[in-house]
Amino acid sequence: MTDLQLIADLGIILTAAALLLLVARPLRVPSIVAYIVAGLVLGPATGVIHATETVELISEVGIALLLFLVGLELSIEKIRAVGKAAVVAGLAQVSASTILGTMLGLVLGLGLMEASFIGLALSFSSTVVVVKLLEREDELGTLHGRLAVGILLVQDIVVAVALTLLAGLGASGEELGPAMVAEGLLRASLGMAALVAIAVIGARWILPRAMDWMGRSLEGLFIWSLTWCFAFILLAELLGLSVEIGAFVAGVSLAQLTYNHELVRRVNPLVDFFLAIFFVSLGVHLDAAAAFRVWPLALALTAFILLTKPVLIAMLVSRFGYGSQPSFLAGLLLGQGSEFSFIMVALGAGVGLVGNDVVALVAVTGLLSIGVSAGLIQARARIFRVLRGAGLLRLLRGLREEGPVGTELAGHIVVVGMNTLGRRLVDGFMERGELVLAVDTDPRKLADLPCPTLLGNTDHPAVLEEAGMARAKLVVSALQIEDANALLTHRASRLGVPVSVHAFDPSLVPELEALGATYLMVSKYDGIRQVAEALGRVGVRA
Amino acid sequence: MHGIALLLAAAAAAYGLARAMDIPPVPLLLAAGVLLAPTGLLPAEFLQDSLILGVSFLLFQGGIELNPARVRGQRGAALRVGLVQFIALAALGLIAAVLLGFDLLSAGYLALALTASSTLVTVRLLQRRRQMFEPFGRVVVGVLLLQDLLVILLIPLMTRLPLGPLAVGQGVLAVGALGILMWISSRWLTPAVLAMDGDEEPLLLVVLAFLFGFMLLAGWLDLPLVVGAFLAGVALSTFPASGVVRSQLASIGDFFTAVFFTALGALIAVPEPGVILEALALAAVVVVATPPLVAFVAERAGLGAKPAIEAGLLLAQTSELSLVVGLYGVAEGQIDGEVFTVIAIVTLITMFLTPTLSHERLAWRLLRLHPVPSRVTQPPPVRDHVLLLGSGSTGMPLLETILTSGQEVAVVDDDPAVIARLGELEIPCVRGEAADLEVLDRVNARSARVISSTIRRPEDNRRLLDYVRGVPVIVRVFDEEDADWIRESGGTPVLYSEAAAERFFQWYDRSGPGSAAPG
Repeated sequence: MTDLQLIADLGIILTAAALLLLVARPLRVPSIVAYIVAGLVLGPATGVIHATETVELISEVGIALLLFLVGLELSIEKIRAVGKAAVVAGLAQVSASTILGTMLGLVLGLGLMEASFIGLALSFSSTVVVVKLLEREDELGTLHGRLAVGILLVQDIVVAVALTLLAGLGASGEELGPAMVAEGLLRASLGMAALVAIAVIGARWILPRAMDWMGRSLEGLFIWSLTWCFAFILLAELLGLSVEIGAFVAGVSLAQLTYNHELVRRVNPLVDFFLAIFFVSLGVHLDAAAAFRVWPLALALTAFILLTKPVLIAMLVSRFGYGSQPSFLAGLLLGQGSEFSFIMVALGAGVGLVGNDVVALVAVTGLLSIGVSAGLIQARARIFRVLRGAGLLRLLRGLREEGPVGTELAGHIVVVGMNTLGRRLVDGFMERGELVLAVDTDPRKLADLPCPTLLGNTDHPAVLEEAGMARAKLVVSALQIEDANALLTHRASRLGVPVSVHAFDPSLVPELEALGATYLMVSKYDGIRQVAEALGRVGVRA
Repeated sequence: MHGIALLLAAAAAAYGLARAMDIPPVPLLLAAGVLLAPTGLLPAEFLQDSLILGVSFLLFQGGIELNPARVRGQRGAALRVGLVQFIALAALGLIAAVLLGFDLLSAGYLALALTASSTLVTVRLLQRRRQMFEPFGRVVVGVLLLQDLLVILLIPLMTRLPLGPLAVGQGVLAVGALGILMWISSRWLTPAVLAMDGDEEPLLLVVLAFLFGFMLLAGWLDLPLVVGAFLAGVALSTFPASGVVRSQLASIGDFFTAVFFTALGALIAVPEPGVILEALALAAVVVVATPPLVAFVAERAGLGAKPAIEAGLLLAQTSELSLVVGLYGVAEGQIDGEVFTVIAIVTLITMFLTPTLSHERLAWRLLRLHPVPSRVTQPPPVRDHVLLLGSGSTGMPLLETILTSGQEVAVVDDDPAVIARLGELEIPCVRGEAADLEVLDRVNARSARVISSTIRRPEDNRRLLDYVRGVPVIVRVFDEEDADWIRESGGTPVLYSEAAAERFFQWYDRSGPGSAAPG
């Protein structure tokens, strides 16, 4: 309890990460870059951090949870919506990028193993960076946003298989040969089949009932889901697969549940916390001397990624009939290396397939490409105009331009808390022909409502965002939870959205008024009138 | 990885059991940890780090909750109850521990461990029973906040006690310095947090950096890390910053809480019979002494008799902070593993007992033993009167209109302020529990013309309906299910949620955002 080392390490890591993140934000630099730079500053440059076992464990858990999260986001409907274009374009792009990357590596004088490793590692784009960028720009639902996410998911599956294979190779500790690869592939496929089979059984027969039973306690649900994730991690290890694939499959098997959005929101902060530590310690571990040695190569590879990926993806996507704008934007979004590039080469180095120089090379390349790509994405509109003006986009001649973007709510009324009051409010609004969105944490209370519903706790900003609160014409809460109502009032009035909440006790009125509530439902006072009427019915004049 | 998986699996089992038994998960998490220990699968260093991280988040979250506004009008009552319970339990604990043969320092640790009640267990029960915002619920919350603060501030003094008064003085100074720093930093941190609301990643990172930075600072000042974690939380305890941080931190907190208690359980040695007996004796002190003590003070401080008893029963357990006290004692080498085990078992036992002990049935039984001072200012009407149960301040307008119509009225309420006001108006009233049959008898409920009940708890209304069969009873209820249920039992429900919705739509149709602009 008095051991300061762990607290000191975490304190320094998190402070550096937070500071660099705050600097990076206004410059629109992705958080990953900020973290790795924080690590570079801390580690090789100053030597303040000596990664303890626990810091390493946290990093490892961070990667596992990231894949769990990706799995959680990957419901069957999402896969279906993305469709053929993402699958074909994704697979074709990864293959083409790998081949081209390998060739470039060979030309630059690397060995076959190293070149192919780098080619494959750099063929992936960054799920974390792209998804976060799209989220921030509110473009996840756009055509190019959905295409980009679809391709990323396809890449994630390829990564998962590649990591599994790598883990299988690493476990045997032998030299790499064709027989080895075949055996590794066979073992990986068998393990994978077993894991998926168990996941399917779980998703169909165990999870829905178990999670439904636990559903009333959201923290219990959360702990159960994490346990499910770690059980699959152990299972994957047992089957000779990677930790990552176990977490990923566990996530997918939970993605079909009603609770998956709530789980995503709950896992998210944990991932942010753990991954920040992972990326900082990645920077700490980066071999500065090696990074210095490899910079010309890194520049060449960065240029290669920035050029070939967008072109490949844009051309492939446009083959499926998408117009020049979505094709171009999807390509531009995906023009960078991935966090999985780092993870893959780190794993490869761990089993002795590649040297530290390759790790440094991929890290520097990934970092550079993510940084530059973020800048390009910011300038996407201008780049698009320039390229179109130069006639370079004529190759991307599809017909499907950006259509109506999904069913985004606006001018609606958000009603929170489906107790008796909340239901009456929903009914009243429906009678008045309003567009209503009902929100509650209990799926059973949302089940039979005649309006669109959203499962979640309004304490989370993400839930409010999903509810489109900023565009709503009114937010109403029937909840009998003091803190939740106060926070909702504060956030709504800060956005300038009219808000009416349930002051279930008259003593709450002053605070809620001070927070800017437009109208307060003081139910106990309102009830008095009805009591008087009821008394009148038995002959008491009141 | 294996360690985390194992801890999580144990925690998952505990949560499942807690759900099935409908009790708070903390004691079950501890018990799961105890069962996990003999497997020897958890490396010591991993356990140690899990504890440090877990306790950091636990105390940080505790600090965030430390906002006196939560207690509202009950601050005075909470302060009195909290202090009396704290001091009396410390004294009783010290005496009991010395009598059990512990040395003075160990007895001091045991006494400190007995002083606080568990926030995690009690708040959960209050939420479960929807009593958080009843006056007695607010008193209980206030008591818990006060005790948390006292225990945290006493830990650094306790660990320095054997080093002499100089060290203790230095400790006080160091805590003061950290407190001042906390106050200063809260002035810039709070607006920064609010500005970042909605931008989750930087917000989380800044808050976590602040937490660990403050703990590091506490370490440099030679204070226990938990003091740093707690004060870091206090820096963010003003609303709305507290709400923003709480929502952002909830799942990380849940994760580490589960890990912390399970890991802590794994540290508890399997006790010998003698140790169990000592623990039983101290648990008895807590369970027997707390309810009458708290009930006595709470009633003097203005709570009704039954809510005061309920507060006493609800607070009769030791806290998660008791375990932290024990951990520090062990870490500082001031107490041995046996004393820690005693603290842990007392906590386990009392936490397990709380849901049962605090059940309403026991409160009613104890109320029977309780001499209620009868202060009837005005003899209640014998028959054909209107009886208002639990009128409260919201009922005043109703009462006035009934009176002006010349109808005879009697009122039962447990709020002394309401009773005092009615007494001034010379309205027959009785201070007491509206669902108490003796009280109902005193106001001649069975011969009333009509009864209006604002009693909130369904079971209480059932008692009432059973008792006054034949008399029309109007019951104010919020939920539709309760309304059905009242109707079945022969009462007339008035849904005030419906009334609130009606009133809302009057406002909405007249001046809501829909009515204003035509386009």
